[in-house]
Amino acid sequence: MTYKNYIVVWAGLTGLMLLGVALSYLPISHGTVVAGVLALSAVKAVIVGMYFMHLKFDSKVLTAIAVAPLPLAIVLMVLILLDKPFLLR
Amino acid sequence: MSQAASVEHSVGQLGIEDGKLGMWVFLASEVMFFVGLLSTYIVLKAGHPAWPGPQGHLSVPLGTLNTLILILSSMTMALSVAAVSTRNAGALRLYLLATIVLGSVFLGIKSIEYSAKFHHEIFPSTSVFWSCYFVLTGVHALHVIVGVGVNAWVLSKTWDGNFWTSKSHRVELSGLYWHFVDVVWIFLFPLLYLL
Repeated sequence: MTYKNYIVVWAGLTGLMLLGVALSYLPISHGTVVAGVLALSAVKAVIVGMYFMHLKFDSKVLTAIAVAPLPLAIVLMVLILLDKPFLLR
Repeated sequence: MSQAASVEHSVGQLGIEDGKLGMWVFLASEVMFFVGLLSTYIVLKAGHPAWPGPQGHLSVPLGTLNTLILILSSMTMALSVAAVSTRNAGALRLYLLATIVLGSVFLGIKSIEYSAKFHHEIFPSTSVFWSCYFVLTGVHALHVIVGVGVNAWVLSKTWDGNFWTSKSHRVELSGLYWHFVDVVWIFLFPLLYLL
């Protein structure tokens, strides 16, 4: 990637971040804001991984290693969320 | 093949540099570490009827500024790696130094936020929200401190005579770590400041 490419990626990340901040101030339902802001965060993380961390250009083995924790993370999150009814009692 | 141009470092059977493979495995373990903390935060938030409560105010402008700084530092880090691929020592040192400075500014702003909270007698023991806030941002700040330190060490090695033949791949490795720290903040910022 050229220097210019990196600057374009940075501009995109900055724009998405400011969009997330703006979204959090809109008079819409909290659920919509949560979904929108977290979706924007996920997109930004993918962009950083693909371009700044070079996963798009490196061996797919590295992408597999990077993605491997995600199913485990979901399992961990679900298991911890099972505590919510306990907390609400 | 990576964008880094160093040549004298070992490549395993997968065709991937050992250092890079090791760094990605380490980062995968770091993902699980932070997911554990974030999951705990989310379930506590979901289980609390008035989270974070009337005293749970964080400065969105300061948080936004810090996020902008960290994203900018990720770009300068990426430019450092690009400078290695073109063997441009001057650009490499400039962008590495910029990354270190931006990381330090991030820590400075974070310390201003912390001191403001302490001034208002807000501590980790004040409430569950503040406990989560100080743990999450504190652990992240520790990672930033490590990243700044590693980048400073890598920068100091750029003057070594054998840097371009056997050490330049370290820029990419420290860069991977730095970008990971950025990704963690990309999720921490909205969870703590916006939602």
